[in-house]
Amino acid sequence: MPSESPPAASHTISEWVKSYEDGGPLRGFRCPHCGFITATWGLACPRCGTVARDEHALSANGTVVAFTLLTVPGDEFLNDAPYVYAVVELEGGGRITGWMPTVRTADGVAIGERVRFRPSYKPGVQFVRESEVAPTVSGA
Amino acid sequence: MRESWVVGAASNRFGKMSETAREAATRVSLAAIRSAGLSPKDIGYTFVSNAFGIAEHQAHVGPLINGGLGIPDVPSATIESACSSSSAGLHEAFVQVAGGFIDAALVVGSEKLSHLDTLAATSYFAIAADYAFETKNGATFPGLYATIASAYRSAYPTTPEMFGAIAIKNHANGARNPHAHFQREITMETYLQSPIIASPFRLYDCCPFSDGAAAIVVAAKEFVPSPVSEPLVIRASARAGGITEMQDRPDLLALPATQTAGAKAFRQAHLAPQDIDFAEVHDCFTLAEALALEDLGFVPRGTGARAAMDGLTVRDGKLPINPSGGLKAKGHPVSATGVSQVVEVFEQFNGLAKGREVPHTETALTHNVGATGGSCSVHIFSRR
Repeated sequence: MPSESPPAASHTISEWVKSYEDGGPLRGFRCPHCGFITATWGLACPRCGTVARDEHALSANGTVVAFTLLTVPGDEFLNDAPYVYAVVELEGGGRITGWMPTVRTADGVAIGERVRFRPSYKPGVQFVRESEVAPTVSGA
Repeated sequence: MRESWVVGAASNRFGKMSETAREAATRVSLAAIRSAGLSPKDIGYTFVSNAFGIAEHQAHVGPLINGGLGIPDVPSATIESACSSSSAGLHEAFVQVAGGFIDAALVVGSEKLSHLDTLAATSYFAIAADYAFETKNGATFPGLYATIASAYRSAYPTTPEMFGAIAIKNHANGARNPHAHFQREITMETYLQSPIIASPFRLYDCCPFSDGAAAIVVAAKEFVPSPVSEPLVIRASARAGGITEMQDRPDLLALPATQTAGAKAFRQAHLAPQDIDFAEVHDCFTLAEALALEDLGFVPRGTGARAAMDGLTVRDGKLPINPSGGLKAKGHPVSATGVSQVVEVFEQFNGLAKGREVPHTETALTHNVGATGGSCSVHIFSRR
């Protein structure tokens, strides 16, 4: 049986983490068949199953589509609670989850609010409300 | 395919175990085998689930259980599918028995987390999510479902009292279940005054971290010509997967794995949602019960949250849901949960659910979700 050609070289999970830890960009993939955009690592599109993905730089700007204020965190966020965990719809396509350390009450953010990726020395993808961001943030 | 039955079932009391998961699993396994009128030597395969065995420095627990049952030569396999581990084990047992490979299988799930503190237990639960793309970004298990809840509340008219009614119902049922972690009722005032864990979830929206063990025996009809208890005929055993990461889902307000597994199960059983007398669904959080009702087709989308408040899902309602108390009150010892749902069906069918009987027990459904919907099992049972 002929072996299938491996998908074009794409970034690894480690490279994805290093990229956002270094200030961006948020790296992602775009399906060449259905156009689905995602940050999630994989060799095929999770929506249509096409075994091909193109590298795609995700926008640093987006809108909150769902969120929670966490008061009981996991061990990596022990000293950061309360904070918001959110699903963000990015400009130009794709969704990503991240945390918002500057929002410490449940009414501090709302669905539909505009947010921006913020590089940080702390772990994970961080977002801040657009109103908090200085105009020189990388990737903005 | 051979007709396959659940012929024996047993559970310990969920909550806090002094013994190890291995000991508890062995104990409930023997009880389940005896309740079937069988001997360990009748078992042809053991399917074990113990997703967090690593918390007890133990993996490969199947041979230890079989050794403890005096059947070290019987094969075993550890089945891990997060919170749906042991229902996945039941599916594998069904495949083996219905396919004619073996005559009887033991399915057992056991978990012990109470020796960990809340922080460690929260972290263990979160590892069933996508670590790189969810947990590392701040997610916890309650946080993921709470995020869905925020979208649900934004999309549909939903009040805190609707979620509260689900919790109150399940605690009322758990108060009548000797296997339950929480055996006391709560009031709406108690619910509303409980602290926020992950907005909008309060403490009483969340299932507890529980220790516990449950086991069942699956056997071919012809292997037990004279069952000692009313067997559960396995009418459907369906599994499905779904996109794990919330960021990639086309719809935040549904679990596609539940929809797919439910549809497959109803097709296998040649039944429809209105044919089900009662169900045990995966209510790790109050919202999860609402989603399950919608995704399984019991109620229209956007109405699952109000089903308990409207009386539909209470024990004497039209469709009793979680008469055991569910994960919410019976508890959620991850790997024991799926099998414990079947234990409840077994007890309801055999008149053993004293004080929490549902009105009709001809046909029942169990629904067990892995994490936030990456995997799901749906089983349908009926009387002979």
